[in-house]
Amino acid sequence: MNEQRRQILEMLAEGRITADEAERLIDALQREQPESPPGAAPRPKARPKYLRVVVSSDDNFGGDGPGRVNVRVPLQLLRAGVRLTSLIPPEALTHANAELRRSGVPLDLTQLKPQHIEDLIEHLDDVTIDVDQPDTKVQVFCE
Amino acid sequence: MIPHLVTVRHRRRGGRWLRLYVPVLPVLLVLSPLLLLAVLAGLVACLATRVSPVGALRGAGQLLSALPGTRIEIEQGRTAVLVSVS
Repeated sequence: MNEQRRQILEMLAEGRITADEAERLIDALQREQPESPPGAAPRPKARPKYLRVVVSSDDNFGGDGPGRVNVRVPLQLLRAGVRLTSLIPPEALTHANAELRRSGVPLDLTQLKPQHIEDLIEHLDDVTIDVDQPDTKVQVFCE
Repeated sequence: MIPHLVTVRHRRRGGRWLRLYVPVLPVLLVLSPLLLLAVLAGLVACLATRVSPVGALRGAGQLLSALPGTRIEIEQGRTAVLVSVS
């Protein structure tokens, strides 16, 4: 028995409310919190399938009016792309590392394993990015 | 499953829409000789760069099969481009 139902029954026992009022309150409580049937497993949260990027801008570039970009990419596509990184030959990664270092970005791409990126994509589900500016709005989320 | 239909819509300044529906499978069949050449060139490139051709083919297949559901919409004032893969 939950706390609210117990309080209603106590009020009824103390005579502060009538049986009809108690019944109405319990009905209202049940409507607010529909109970799942006993033994039923909690419904799993639906996994997002798409990554959405929405950019709205009120800027009037070239006098054309406001702009809007709406991109929906299946997460499966990101996973497939990540798997392709395992095909990059080590020599290419070494060259890329050298160029990155020369540009002032000391990043070692050989340490970035496909498993890490795949884990990153797995956890993209919970990512929500909202950037609000007076004339521009950027939203990145999974749905 | 590979994409069935690619829809491209373009709205011009006048507000008129240009719609282009591309059925992927028939287009692939028509372009199959070119596709074969592209696959061969890709295999040669794989061998030259010591990349596993099987892995590359599998990766390309996975990319292709993951494309359905992709949707890109870009609007600027009265002009717009919409690309959707289904």
